[in-house]
Amino acid sequence: MKRNLRTSVALACLLFSLLFLGAREARPANGAKAAPIRARIGVISILTGQGAGYGEAITDGFKLARDEINAKGAVNIELVIEDSGAKQEQALAAAQKLINSDRVVAILGPTLSNEMKVVGPEANASGVPILGTSTTAKGIPQIGKYVFRNSLPESLAIPASIGAVVKKYHVRKVALLYGNDDVFTKSGFDTMKEVSGRLGLKILTVQEFQKGQADYKAQLTRIASLKPDAIFCSALYEEGAVILSQARKMGISVPFVGGNGFNSPKVVEIAKGAAEGLVVATPWFADRGTPKVKAFVARYGKAYGRKPDQFAAQAYDALYILANALERAGAADRGRLRDALAATRNFDGVLGKFSFDAGRDVEMQPVVLIVKDGKFQPFH
Amino acid sequence: MFLEQLVNGVTLGSIYAIVALGYTLVFGVLDIINMAHGEIFMFGAFVGMLIVSKAGAPLPVAFLGAIVVTGAMGLLLERFALRPLRKAPGVSNLSSLISTIGVSILLENVAQKVFGAGNHLFETPFAEIRFRVGGVTVYLVQALILFVSLALMTGLALWLARTRTGRALRATAENLATAGLLGVDTNLMITATVVIASAMGGVAGVLVGMAFNYINNQIGLSMGLKGLAIIIFGGMGSVYGAMAGGLILGIAETLVVAYGDSGYRDSIAFLTIIVVLLIRPQGLFGQAAPGMRR
Amino acid sequence: MGPEWINPYHLQVASFAFINVILGVSIYVTLATGQLSLGNAGFMGIGAYAAALLSTRYGCPIPAGIVLGGLFAGIAGILVGIPSLRLSGVYLAIATLGSGEVLRAVLVNWESLTGGAVGIAAIPQMGRVLLSRAREAGFAPESIGLRNNQFIGISVFLILFVCAFLAVLFFLRLGRTRVGRAYAAIKLDEKAAEAAGIPVTYYKVLAFSQGAMLAGFAGALYAHTTSFVSPSDFTYHRAVEILVFAVFGGSEHLLGPVFGAAFLTMLPEALRSVSDYRDILYGILLVLTMVFRPQGVLDPPLLRGFARFRRKGKA
Repeated sequence: MKRNLRTSVALACLLFSLLFLGAREARPANGAKAAPIRARIGVISILTGQGAGYGEAITDGFKLARDEINAKGAVNIELVIEDSGAKQEQALAAAQKLINSDRVVAILGPTLSNEMKVVGPEANASGVPILGTSTTAKGIPQIGKYVFRNSLPESLAIPASIGAVVKKYHVRKVALLYGNDDVFTKSGFDTMKEVSGRLGLKILTVQEFQKGQADYKAQLTRIASLKPDAIFCSALYEEGAVILSQARKMGISVPFVGGNGFNSPKVVEIAKGAAEGLVVATPWFADRGTPKVKAFVARYGKAYGRKPDQFAAQAYDALYILANALERAGAADRGRLRDALAATRNFDGVLGKFSFDAGRDVEMQPVVLIVKDGKFQPFH
Repeated sequence: MFLEQLVNGVTLGSIYAIVALGYTLVFGVLDIINMAHGEIFMFGAFVGMLIVSKAGAPLPVAFLGAIVVTGAMGLLLERFALRPLRKAPGVSNLSSLISTIGVSILLENVAQKVFGAGNHLFETPFAEIRFRVGGVTVYLVQALILFVSLALMTGLALWLARTRTGRALRATAENLATAGLLGVDTNLMITATVVIASAMGGVAGVLVGMAFNYINNQIGLSMGLKGLAIIIFGGMGSVYGAMAGGLILGIAETLVVAYGDSGYRDSIAFLTIIVVLLIRPQGLFGQAAPGMRR
Repeated sequence: MGPEWINPYHLQVASFAFINVILGVSIYVTLATGQLSLGNAGFMGIGAYAAALLSTRYGCPIPAGIVLGGLFAGIAGILVGIPSLRLSGVYLAIATLGSGEVLRAVLVNWESLTGGAVGIAAIPQMGRVLLSRAREAGFAPESIGLRNNQFIGISVFLILFVCAFLAVLFFLRLGRTRVGRAYAAIKLDEKAAEAAGIPVTYYKVLAFSQGAMLAGFAGALYAHTTSFVSPSDFTYHRAVEILVFAVFGGSEHLLGPVFGAAFLTMLPEALRSVSDYRDILYGILLVLTMVFRPQGVLDPPLLRGFARFRRKGKA
């Protein structure tokens, strides 16, 4: 009995020492007083497993922004990128590592709202500013005064897209379709339902699907039989593109209204002609034509061989917002950075004018886009 | 609408059936659950996608390519992850379970590295061709899927019942040691089983690509879970059970969406098996008392 | 300020390791009677949701919520365990896996209670609660040279260490009692055990609900460690992960799953520098372990060897 215990204690010690050996010696991140301001910034993203597609776009956006910012010279940023594998525990462990071992001045990410609900309170308690670039669910900045986001919440995006479609196509009866096992699509659906109620639309049916489903024919057949004027679909673009394509093949030709998450060049790439008639509201529009957006699209395309989507754009802007705040803070100090970040007003990025409101949430104007002739175009 | 939903259900069900056949063949012979089967199926889908959408070759080539690649993967799986375990004395079935789980994690992530995360378009030239049979819209793709899976199932059933190798395989499944004594090369039979099962997974992968037009590196998991539920439901190791179970599950899932609550669609598989197991623990077509099976 | 070697990151990883150790023990307990249950992810979910709801909705104190979470899961274990008696082997494994998946669907769809996919946030985190209590009582962590997050990390670490230690100790002891011997007899040969007068049904259900209770207990601790739970925490992946703890570490001795859980929780952290390939490496490691050591890393002969080695060292 005792021997067994001793053995287990010895084993535990061995394991812990392994872990400690693996940890790097932490260095303070302040550096020289003179310009540039050196800052080590942590990134928590999904690099492996389900959702790695989003994580890839996001980290690419960060890296591109980092290279540009460092080339300008006022701020020098070192990114420490950690994988969360879309798991809450790993996201939390990654945050602890960034906060305590790497001593980062701020954290960007994590990718999912679920992960933010675990990581946010910890960063807040440790006094590290954390800026979510893709966390759109309700209640994120409310976690605490160190928690920010620059991703447009669905509660701003969806009323814009639904409003435009209802007005133009005289929509009366709608069908709703959403992923019920995902925070993002679920809160998008809640907004859709609320907006439909406010506009007095008749909801014919509410259909649900689950992550990783490949076959939406059963849901779509049922929707088709009810003949709605429009379909409101809360899905991320990966599932959304598949739904669109299967719907169009079945002869469902009514407009589709999606949320912010539906906006990606990949929708057109995956669904091809079936994407025609999809309406989304989003701050990100790759063909906006302003010099900033043009330059970003060109450089991103050169570096990674594809068009940036909103995840990449939001990440790109987020690092610029952070660098801008660092400059105003004057030093890589967590507390001063937080205050500078909270004071961000009318920042001019690839997503347009951006401000944090008093509650550290997003203030920006979404544009409504429709897929026409194989690309996203402004919807009038 | 009912008949159209029924067609949807039968299409889905026949794909489920083929996936389940892959599980049941391996279980019948080796008494283990091959948790990597879903990922082999996923590779089949990707090979088919590369051949049809990227290289623009006709569908039969895609089937052939998928069969060759997944068959080879089956061979490697048997050689490196299953055979060493079979040789070792006193090894429980749990070890091979974990070993195949290891392979499935490996394959899922290799696929992500090789093909990238996210959905890939699986284009078939005739995706939109449809015809009406007595007021019901049927797609050519659906008919084709049904035809391929029926042909595959009949072929397998005939091969198992009529040919010499088929009988040797059944003997091996019945009792490994006795079959060995009777002069059956059991190692060969086991390898053949895993290869055939994997190749069927490859065919199912191409069918899924045709049916739903999109594939990603996660489809193996959801399809694999369904396949597992089906073989329990139909009876472990039973070929007919897998076929019937697949069809029943496909139709049940579709009808739940059509007339019930789509939120519970993915639970149907498991709800059914829990009920079936409590009423008839050996499954629909199972013969052995489950107490005997470990 | 604060001693720098106390790193909340290491404490955090260790805390998760302790929770996983309890989960490893939970699957071992049912395995000890020869039953393979993959329902422990579901039972963990019951414990986690029970604790989360009790503390956020009813203001129940955390320790009471954790105990109740375990009890709820234990009751669920009895309810699932009795009908499952007819099943064994893979049938039992898949049926229990299935009940976990069904439970997850209920968590997703029963929105009024569980909040659906959005989950339950702002669950009191035990370390932070302890810190604010300590401050109320006039104790400042700075007085012993600790930063706030070091204090939080250490208190969570200690609580979970004690919980995991007690769980392991209890079941190590149990192995040597009448109950443990009955389990072993049932695992060896159920019919013979029955013939020898052991109430097989009773012990099987007991083992099943003990495992469920322990998993629920771990779930409740998890909820108060991460401060957030959602249905996606208790999926098929979790069930498989728990199984892997046991089989990788060795399912013949209680310390096997304990080792497996601790090692496999720390491994991904140690592999962070190669994060792109770590899942691939994890998969390869599983296959290699099973090929070269199919009984798991730790087995009774190895543990006896350790013990002998230690005796020699002392002599």
